[in-house]
Amino acid sequence: MSLQTSPIEASGLPRAIIGAIVNNALVLALIAVFAVFSFATPTFLTIANLQSILVNNFTLLAIVAIAMTFAVSVGGIDLSVGTAVDFASFAFVSLVLAGQPVFIAALAGLGAGAAVGAFNAILISGIGISPFLGTLGTLFIGRSIQQLLTNGGNPVYLPPTGVPEAFRFLGRGAIAGIPVPLVIAAGIIVAATIILTRARFGRVALAIGIQPSVVRYSGITARAHVAVAFILVGLIAAVAGLILSATVTVYIPSSGNAFLLNAIGATFIGTTLSRLGRPNVAGTVLGVLLLSIVANGLLLTGLNFYWQQVGTGLLIFAVLALSFINRRKATA
Amino acid sequence: MSVDIQLAPVIHFEPGKIGGDTTRSGHLAATALRAGSLIAFVAILVVFSATAPYFLSVGNIGNVLGQSAISGVLAIGLTVVLIAGGSNVVTGGIDLSLAANMGLSAAVYATVAQLGYGDATAVAAALLTGGLIGAVNAFAVVGAGIVPLLATLAVMNIVAGLELVLTQNTVIPASTPLLTALSSSGPFGIPALAYVLLAFTLIAAAIVQYTPTGLRLYAVGEFPDAARAAGLPVRRLLAGAFVASGLCGGFAGILSVSNLSGSTTGSGEMLLPVVVTALLGSVFSRRLVPTVIGTLLSTLFVGFLVNGFQLLNISSVLVSGVQGLLILLVVSATTLLRRQEA
Repeated sequence: MSLQTSPIEASGLPRAIIGAIVNNALVLALIAVFAVFSFATPTFLTIANLQSILVNNFTLLAIVAIAMTFAVSVGGIDLSVGTAVDFASFAFVSLVLAGQPVFIAALAGLGAGAAVGAFNAILISGIGISPFLGTLGTLFIGRSIQQLLTNGGNPVYLPPTGVPEAFRFLGRGAIAGIPVPLVIAAGIIVAATIILTRARFGRVALAIGIQPSVVRYSGITARAHVAVAFILVGLIAAVAGLILSATVTVYIPSSGNAFLLNAIGATFIGTTLSRLGRPNVAGTVLGVLLLSIVANGLLLTGLNFYWQQVGTGLLIFAVLALSFINRRKATA
Repeated sequence: MSVDIQLAPVIHFEPGKIGGDTTRSGHLAATALRAGSLIAFVAILVVFSATAPYFLSVGNIGNVLGQSAISGVLAIGLTVVLIAGGSNVVTGGIDLSLAANMGLSAAVYATVAQLGYGDATAVAAALLTGGLIGAVNAFAVVGAGIVPLLATLAVMNIVAGLELVLTQNTVIPASTPLLTALSSSGPFGIPALAYVLLAFTLIAAAIVQYTPTGLRLYAVGEFPDAARAAGLPVRRLLAGAFVASGLCGGFAGILSVSNLSGSTTGSGEMLLPVVVTALLGSVFSRRLVPTVIGTLLSTLFVGFLVNGFQLLNISSVLVSGVQGLLILLVVSATTLLRRQEA
């Protein structure tokens, strides 16, 4: 890896891509992992398996990680993304179970996720609590609320038969041969990229994350932008909640927290794609892809399941260590 | 440089916007907050003791102390990192690997004991495990320059995986003289673990609060540049804090084996409650900074809350909600306070 390349500014996509590959531990790790698994297992490099990686490993984590990327963009973090996933899932499943139309139930689910985001927004933008502590509080309160709603944590099952067609379609349907969850994830990735790189809101959001005081002195209301960012986090995470419950036709209390640490990991691994260590959608997506490929590949190697977790952890550690040492050298 | 993340509030308020005699009202509010948290602590004790007669008995208080021992030791370990790393949880002090560390250390202890080695070897192995994990964190943060939140997150995953590899996700039973002693009752019928917690707190408080090293830890955490300018070995102190926290994880692991007479899975569940406890601890200190005694009080506060709920037959599902509300209340109060003082 060359350390002498000049810092990449937002000057043309091709140069950025070349620079990223030359400089980046993440891209190299992704290529290395892909190559190793392709040689090590006969089944890895098959269309069916690659599709399975995208559908089973990638989709939901990608959506939650993109939600997280918005929080990190404004210089924060959201520990309650799982809570938004759960609230959306609960509202969605309960209303479908009560016989409401799927469309209405889905809207309610999105609303529930956005409400979690709005609560965080009040804490962070309204009162001025730091995002880490505010969303930590939300996580704990959300856990209690879910247990109260479900008599101490009982799952809410939908009967396997008689699930509305639209509900099934959201989880297991396909548009032109592409699974619906993947289509939705792709849509969110594109939309998030546009919002964060092309829209005024995204530029302000990133500026808040880099240098809040400059934003304020420019006469821009940072608080409003931070609030909107956190509501967006809840809303995007809610989409993952809807897809999750449509796929497994059940709501399990506090199950969304399983995404939390991986989403944080993917987002921050993604920041290594940017030379200046900024959160970006492309990096987050590559980070999720890396985690997904490793999870799938290790499974195929038939390695003891428990070693798989160690392997994933070591790989993430190595990527982080490489890129941080690299960055330190570059700035020194 | 590192990832540009502020834990510090995203929104800063213009000084002087909030009128009035800011310093005096700030002092008043600070006093109110400190007094308020202590009053809340006492009020909860009074309410519980009035409604549940058994609550304030020596036996029950001893039980709460004993049950709080493991989370107390972990929270104190985290407190050391919070002190040396500074108040910014993302770029500064946090150790997310503590709970997983406890799990792996417990598994190591139980495994070594089961292989027929004595207590001394098993204890040494557990503490060595904890210390090594701390050293890896220290290398990642100080050596490689990874943000602590990420470094310890990655280490947490590795450690949790190693625990599963070692235990194959099963319970490893263990029974040694030390474990029997730890799980027995001491003087006044109070669990031995309660005495362990108190003794551990006293030793930790003595080191952190009353030695030059402890003072240097605070200096490094509050103003690293000034500490460096004053000639303090900033990197070594920060690394030392992570190793100390790792050792606390190893110690908590031994305690957890005695508590459950074996190593069990699911230690990761303790992580966030321990983080909340350690962060809450600073309201019990005079200058609203993390202190060992403050963390002990906050651990006991949560312990009494859980215990009181059980005695009153209030569903324990409320506990995490109350913890969440508490941290939000405390942090809002401190934030509003700082805004006034600014």
